[in-house]
Amino acid sequence: MQATATKTAPILSTRDLWLEYSNRRGTVKAVRGITIDLYRGESLALIGESGSGKTTLGLSLIRLLPGSGRVRSGSILYEPDGRTQDILSMSEEAMRRFRWQEIAMVFQSALNAFNPVLRIWDQIYDTVKAHDGMSKQEARKRGLELLKMLQLDPERVIRSYPHELSGGMRQRVLIAVSLLLNPKILILDEPTTALDILTQRNIIDLLRKIKTELDLSMVFISHDLSLAAELADRVATMYAGSVVEIGPVNDMFYRPRHPYTVGLIKAVPTVTGDYRELFSIPGSPPDLVDLPSGCKFHERCDRATKRCHEEEPELVPVGDGHYVRCFSAT
Amino acid sequence: MARQMREIIWRTIRAISTSVLFTRLAKGVMTVFVVMTLTFFIIRLMPSNPIEIYINQLVSQYGMSFQEAKNMAASLFSIDMDAPLYVQYFSYLGNLFRGDLGKSFLSQGTPVSSMIAQFLPWTLFSVGVSLLISFSLGIFLGMTMAYRRGGILDNSLSTFASFVSSIPNYLVGILFLVFLGVRWKIVPIMAMRGSTSPGIQPGFTITFVKDVFFHATMPILTYVTTAIGGWMLTMKNSTVSALGEDYVTVAKARGLRERTITVSYVGRNAILPLFTSLAISIGFIIGGSPLIESIFVYKGIGWVLWSSISTRDYPVMQGVFLVITISVVMANILADLLYSKLDPRIKAGQG
Repeated sequence: MQATATKTAPILSTRDLWLEYSNRRGTVKAVRGITIDLYRGESLALIGESGSGKTTLGLSLIRLLPGSGRVRSGSILYEPDGRTQDILSMSEEAMRRFRWQEIAMVFQSALNAFNPVLRIWDQIYDTVKAHDGMSKQEARKRGLELLKMLQLDPERVIRSYPHELSGGMRQRVLIAVSLLLNPKILILDEPTTALDILTQRNIIDLLRKIKTELDLSMVFISHDLSLAAELADRVATMYAGSVVEIGPVNDMFYRPRHPYTVGLIKAVPTVTGDYRELFSIPGSPPDLVDLPSGCKFHERCDRATKRCHEEEPELVPVGDGHYVRCFSAT
Repeated sequence: MARQMREIIWRTIRAISTSVLFTRLAKGVMTVFVVMTLTFFIIRLMPSNPIEIYINQLVSQYGMSFQEAKNMAASLFSIDMDAPLYVQYFSYLGNLFRGDLGKSFLSQGTPVSSMIAQFLPWTLFSVGVSLLISFSLGIFLGMTMAYRRGGILDNSLSTFASFVSSIPNYLVGILFLVFLGVRWKIVPIMAMRGSTSPGIQPGFTITFVKDVFFHATMPILTYVTTAIGGWMLTMKNSTVSALGEDYVTVAKARGLRERTITVSYVGRNAILPLFTSLAISIGFIIGGSPLIESIFVYKGIGWVLWSSISTRDYPVMQGVFLVITISVVMANILADLLYSKLDPRIKAGQG
């Protein structure tokens, strides 16, 4: 998976990363041995059903795993300019400064992303103050600039309390705030899920604008394939905590190889496309506490053979930068 | 010109009458009036009356004959108990509008207002200090518990908090009196009676302040012990739910300092729901606690209320109840206005 179509060097990579949670029933293996690279300037989409480990992976990149979540093994390497930092071994204070300055994250629940008792400006200034390097005037100027870039009325919005803004506006404010410190990487966790369809459209357009105007690497975490199709350079399909297929966006959508990716794409209704029956993948995602043997997808797969029950396939190349974890795909 | 003037006046009146403060105050005045009327009649429905109780006291204390006692009582009381209730009510109401709370039946001729002025400060002091201590300490401990939930500290403090908050404060008072004061003789309970030591000069001297605190120690200790548990538990719950809010996670992701998150993200939001109960508690400061003040013979307004109830001193009872009602109503209005300042999502008058 080292060699991909993208030529530049990776800015962020995970190496055989295992993440788990404890709950009453046992250990939830949320992420199982993911090795993935994010290249400078590219946008990578992680797609998959709820519970496939996408968000856990995203949160681990800035070491914000909730409650009982922990890293079992593996490493996360950040290589912005030749030097390599291991995110998992940074001190708490270094990590605090690192967050938002280097990697910012736009959360799914923008409705609640802001402290309800503080004005947007206070929360912008909060963020800037926590990372020295910008004066109050500069912070204000930068804040207004970004709000304007996100097509908001900057002077009004900066004075508002979060409840005075609509859901779509709040999401845009959060994206603006995420760009405040010029991070090198932006992680967007379901940036459009909580919004209505027109607002979604608007956010996607804005994100495309950000992508072309700013020198950023982006990670989209989404179950919305259209978002991935429009914004990503590369797409990775996650299933039961591991990457089952990864490749350039066109290969993934036009020549998907893994039966799970095929199912996900077939499950999306098209407005303009041909009439066809909507497809759904039978069964439900596996129990992450008690995983099935062999290929984790075999229980839901129509191509499953005896081998799939016994052995977990490796991620193997099937094209230029296109890898798949399936016996029948090769 | 005249028409314009009239219009301006009308508009001003309309603006005032629809303003939040005005409607709240109007509601408040109504509440006070209704409560005052109810207390007037209810206390007169209580069995027995001041004269009977006084006669019984004279008979049992001095061994007077009933007739002798009755004559003596009649000469002391200039009350016409036989006048119809509504006549008494309207004369009380009339006096009230002139700011006259009436005179005590038993402390012959002492105006109720001067009794309140004399005893109220002691209650304000002791209950106010207790509220300050129990609220701030409770908030602090509650947040600590929430941050360390599940640990030994949290478990032991939670047990303590639910234990003390489930015992009525007068029982705690009696326990303190019996064990600290009588059995183990740790505190000089007799010397602590009253609100100050006899003969001490009031003023801003160290001796006086020390003396004031000395006499208020036991009531304050009792109030704090019984009130702190509630604050701790409410604050803990409220903090736990604030900690689970998305904006706290986002604040962490934004790289804010831990202290900023604790104070202005978690604490600030967790404390909001406690303000309503704080305001209500402030209102009840005036009422003090008749039982606690009687147990420790701390001469505050609660003690006055307690003794006026047992002697059926109607004007005193009514005066104290009126002051309590007004303060509770005022505190609620204040809480409402303050809350809308603290939480931008709430507009004043919606609560």
